[in-house]
Amino acid sequence: MNARDAERLLAAADPVATERLDGLDFEAMEADLLADIEGGRAALEVEPAPRPHVRRPLVLALGTAALAAALALVFLVFGDGNSGRPARAYGAELIRFAESTPLLLLEGPGWRVQEVNEYKTREGNEGQMEFVTGKAVPWGSIRVTGNDEEGQYQEGLEPAAVRQRLVHLNWRELSQQNLATAIEYERGRIHPHGRHFVRLPVTDTTAFVDTHAEIFVNQGGPGDREMLALWSEDGFLLEMTAAVPDLAGMEERLDWVTKVDSQTWLEAMPPKVVKAADIRATERRMLQGVPVPKTFSLGRIPEEGLTVSHDQLAGKVTGVVACLWFRQWGEAVRSGDAAAKAEAEKALLSSPSWPVLHREYHGNYRGDIYKFALAMPQGYWEWHGHHRDLLAHAEGLGCARYGLPLVPAKMKRQREDGVPPPPD
Amino acid sequence: MGPGQIEMEALGQELAQVRFTKLYREHGRAVLEYALRRVEAREDAADVVAETFLVVWRRIGEVPEGDGARLWLYGVARHVLANLHRAERRRTRLGARLAETLRTTIAAHPQPRGEAAAVLRAIADLADDDRELLLLVTWEELSPSEAARVLGISALAARSRLHRARGRLRRLLEERDTEGER
Repeated sequence: MNARDAERLLAAADPVATERLDGLDFEAMEADLLADIEGGRAALEVEPAPRPHVRRPLVLALGTAALAAALALVFLVFGDGNSGRPARAYGAELIRFAESTPLLLLEGPGWRVQEVNEYKTREGNEGQMEFVTGKAVPWGSIRVTGNDEEGQYQEGLEPAAVRQRLVHLNWRELSQQNLATAIEYERGRIHPHGRHFVRLPVTDTTAFVDTHAEIFVNQGGPGDREMLALWSEDGFLLEMTAAVPDLAGMEERLDWVTKVDSQTWLEAMPPKVVKAADIRATERRMLQGVPVPKTFSLGRIPEEGLTVSHDQLAGKVTGVVACLWFRQWGEAVRSGDAAAKAEAEKALLSSPSWPVLHREYHGNYRGDIYKFALAMPQGYWEWHGHHRDLLAHAEGLGCARYGLPLVPAKMKRQREDGVPPPPD
Repeated sequence: MGPGQIEMEALGQELAQVRFTKLYREHGRAVLEYALRRVEAREDAADVVAETFLVVWRRIGEVPEGDGARLWLYGVARHVLANLHRAERRRTRLGARLAETLRTTIAAHPQPRGEAAAVLRAIADLADDDRELLLLVTWEELSPSEAARVLGISALAARSRLHRARGRLRRLLEERDTEGER
């Protein structure tokens, strides 16, 4: 007999025949349990709690290469092309990717997905979707006017009518934060109108809705409200934010939230979302017109397997290039290599003309990279009259996250964490 | 106060109750199975379930989210079980109702015979912690790391103890086989 035989015998000696417990109705005994909790007082009148979902969230642990390979097989189009919309068959990995999200859509008349981002963080997956109706609304809370040539201006909020065409849905795995904590946080926030929560139905559960989630003081008037709904579902904490005319508007939007299957969810992805199979080709295109250091290769761009928006991808591509230039600059300063230092400065000072930052990116990188580049010749970052380490500030571009820390202390920590330093 | 509006003070209580009910519905049966495997009388298992969920209610804020909840519940049930005969037995409605239901739905534990009886006798000879570890892995089908979380030990220690417990169980069974042959 070996240990495995012994364990098999032990398994067979399990005294509980679990199938005999199938007839037990635990829900029927709930009232007794709640009465026990009340210490014998009258049984609580319990609002029916959401029934547990059968589907468990998939914990996504995609190997990027596996994802890319699988996605290459995706989008097999069936049908003869004459029968209207062709049916698509999605590869298993893309289905798995879809199922790493809560698989929710806003199925209101005329509403569509505008943007999807998902991030794999140390704590778990989190992501966000934007739904829009009518013309695209890139920024609900900032109105940008002007153009690249003459300069852009940020003019505060879009009008309520524009903001009310946008809905944000954020999710994160419940292992990061539970519903009670999220609500506690909302409760703790100060609002000039006071906090005011209501409970509204969403999918087959209940959302806790903060009816005064306005951030800006010039919001919150009649017909111009911002509300935040929090609920948990399938292992995710969900957070839906919408500018709405009134509570009925929020109720309507929550009513539109629909749980769909992965096929339907993938079909709803807008054309601008980068299909993961195309990521490398898209990265190459984004790099056109961007000077790259000798240390750069496409493999430097971390493939998390979850990047789906052009904006996020453009930020990552330009971020990695910029971080490598800053690293070259730092090493050149330390070693006294004037040529390498000048090359890095010249490259980063050209960043305002990098096509990708003009055409495909709406974030702050363009300004940030350039302002750090401007400080390079003087060799320090001036902050309220103080001279600060320029590289420490440039770390804010997310260099350590890309595996390219700029300051020696972070490089040391990276080594201590067992992360192999990038080959230079 | 408008329709549907929640009083802030009631909100925390309500959330706790929703979560508690969900935990009970999702894991009540697992706790019952756990207890039934470790008691002689079905009624004791019913009391363990009831007492475990009373603890859950008192410590609802500590229950981990996700898969960790079941492991946490096993940990509580384990302590409840250890105190079952020490403490004065509390009369709970759930305990009484569940015991009654168990009496009508499942027969008393059948007396183990043959190999099963030999195995149960052998595991009774193991050290308490080793036995519990082995049972969690075999009967509750936990991984060694999950079992480690139930017992509050490191995964490394669990793997090492599990190896030892498996070896000891094997030797005990072999010794009994040898004695039987004499």
